[in-house]
This record gives sequence, structure tokens and C-alpha cells, in this order.
Amino acid sequence: MNNIKKNYILFVILLISSCAATTPQLQLDGFWVVKPPIVARSTAGYGTIRNTGKVADTLLKVSSDIGFVMMHKTEMNSGMAGMMHMSKMVIEPGSELVFEPMSYHLMFSDMAEHIHQEGETATLIFEFEKSGIIKVTVPIKP
Amino acid sequence: MVGVIMLNRIVLISLLFFYNIVLAETLPVLSGVGGNFSAIANGKEIEFSHFKGKVVVLSFGYTNCADICPLTLGYYKRLYNELSAEEQQATKMLFITVDPEYDTSTHLTEFVSHFNKDFIGMTGTRAQIDTIVSLFKAEYNKLSVEAVDTDEIIRRVIQKKIPDNVSKDTAYVYSHTVSLYLIDKDGDTRALLYTGTPIAEFADKIRILINE
Repeated sequence: MNNIKKNYILFVILLISSCAATTPQLQLDGFWVVKPPIVARSTAGYGTIRNTGKVADTLLKVSSDIGFVMMHKTEMNSGMAGMMHMSKMVIEPGSELVFEPMSYHLMFSDMAEHIHQEGETATLIFEFEKSGIIKVTVPIKP
Repeated sequence: MVGVIMLNRIVLISLLFFYNIVLAETLPVLSGVGGNFSAIANGKEIEFSHFKGKVVVLSFGYTNCADICPLTLGYYKRLYNELSAEEQQATKMLFITVDPEYDTSTHLTEFVSHFNKDFIGMTGTRAQIDTIVSLFKAEYNKLSVEAVDTDEIIRRVIQKKIPDNVSKDTAYVYSHTVSLYLIDKDGDTRALLYTGTPIAEFADKIRILINE
């Protein structure tokens, strides 16, 4: 009986280990939205997604309560800056995807007017292929 | 004694002469880039020659631009704050829209004022904007989907067409030149810089032109 119990516990541990090995471990850090001029209807969002897991995951979509969101990348090549629309973004295991000015960024358009109030926050909803939906509340600041 | 004074004057004049040569070599006139134009600023039609006697920093953009343009105006703000009050009075910071249909003068003025009340947003008719863009060897494209050949020293932003499910009034995106034009008191373009230029370095170039 004791052997059966031990084997069961071992099985559960192996199962959990196996799941951890095949599941991305995502960590969203430091996301924020640039507080735009009052008359603006577009702005940008920045932050970092870290994948500390053993397998890759793919960011499929980002949405928000403050406006329509697109994933863009600004590229500088031979004196030229190109802005590309990204339909999806792969985050390899042990790597991070950094959204920052003049690089990957979230572009917000058709924004709500209330975001200009002091202390306002935004809800960002990230949709990943394997990790599913991850919601974060982020500050809107200058 | 008179000889010593004369010698000092000759040395001083020689130093000033060589100093001016050094300045001219540091910031040579970029012939063929820039010129006089008319546009609307603060609701009034003005000529660029109105700014004669001032050092001008000029860039292109539009208010529905999310990453580059706020970054450029944020850079303008830090650069302007680097200057003394006297240097600020001798300098004009211009932001010219490539989206004049959306960016009315009032709208544009409110947008740039968010960064500093002294900044000047310039709009106009599409023909006026096209003239300015042409004068400065700049480029812009509406709903561009691919890069267009351009001079290496002119930086551009290429944006993809945004999806159809975005409301119409925000659906206009542009590719546009992102160089910062440094223009002297005579209206001649002296340098093409960008937001990666260290603020102190840019401010020094402005001071050189102020003191010419």
C-alpha cells in the first residue's frame, strides 16, 4: 500500500515537472502607457515580457480598455527608420521581448478621453498562443 | 606700447578668422536643402523668412503618430530646456505636419504646446506642405506599405496600413522623414540630426549658430 502511495506521489511530481517543461513561464514587467497631449488620439505603450520557461510562446494580440492596440516595430537601417506592423511575436525560452521607444512598441489609437485624468490606469490584455490571456493594469504617465 | 596693442589686435583678428573657418567646416551649409516657404502657424499665414535672425530646429510629423513624433517632441523639450533663457529666445522649434487635413492649426498648436508653449506647429494646404517637404528633400507617404528609395542622410519612418476595423478618422497613418534640420539665422540648413544625437552636442551646435 505504501509503495502504491509512493508511486502515486512520484507520478504526480513527474507530471508537474513534465508540465513545467512544456509550458512557457511568462513575466510581464514595467508596462506603462505614455500620457499623450489632450488633443491626441494616439499614443504608445512600453514594457518587457520575459519567458523564463523551457518552451517558446507567441504573443498573438494585445487589447485595452483605453483604445485600439497594434503591435509595431520601428526599425533603423542605413539612415532609414521603418515602422512595421507585427501580426504576432515569438518569445523564445530564456529570452525577453522589450517594448521601448524606436523599437517594438504598442500603438494605441482611437483612445478614450478619460485617460488624461490624473492617476488614470489602463488595462492591457495580452493573448498568448500557449499561456492564454494575461491581464495587467498599468500606469498612464508622462 | 602701441606696437604691442597692434600685435594683440592682429592676433585677435586672426583667431576670429580661423575660428569662423573652423565653424564653417564644422557646420557647412547644406546647399539645396531648405528655403523660404509659407505655412499656417497659430492660425495665421506666415513666411519662413519671418524667422530670419533666429536659429531654427525643424522636423516633420503628425499628431496621430504614436512612437516617433511624441519622442521627437519629447527630445525637443529636453533640448530646449538645455538652452539658457537667452538662447531659447534666439531659437525657434518648428514641427511641420504631413497630415494637414487632420492637423488643423488649433489642433496642432494644442498638441505641440503639451511639450512646450514656445514650440510652433505648422500646417497649411496640402500644396503648401508638399512644397515644404520638397524644399527640405524630405518625404512622406500616406498608407505606405513598403519603403521608397531615398537619400541615406534623410531618415524616414515607414508605417503599414492599419486594419480596416479602426474608425475612419484615426485610420490615416504616414511614413515621413524623421531628421531634425538645424537651420541658421540666414535660413540656411547647416546640419541634419536626429533624436539619437546627444542633447548636449545638439545644444552646442545651436550655440555655434547663435554666436555666428
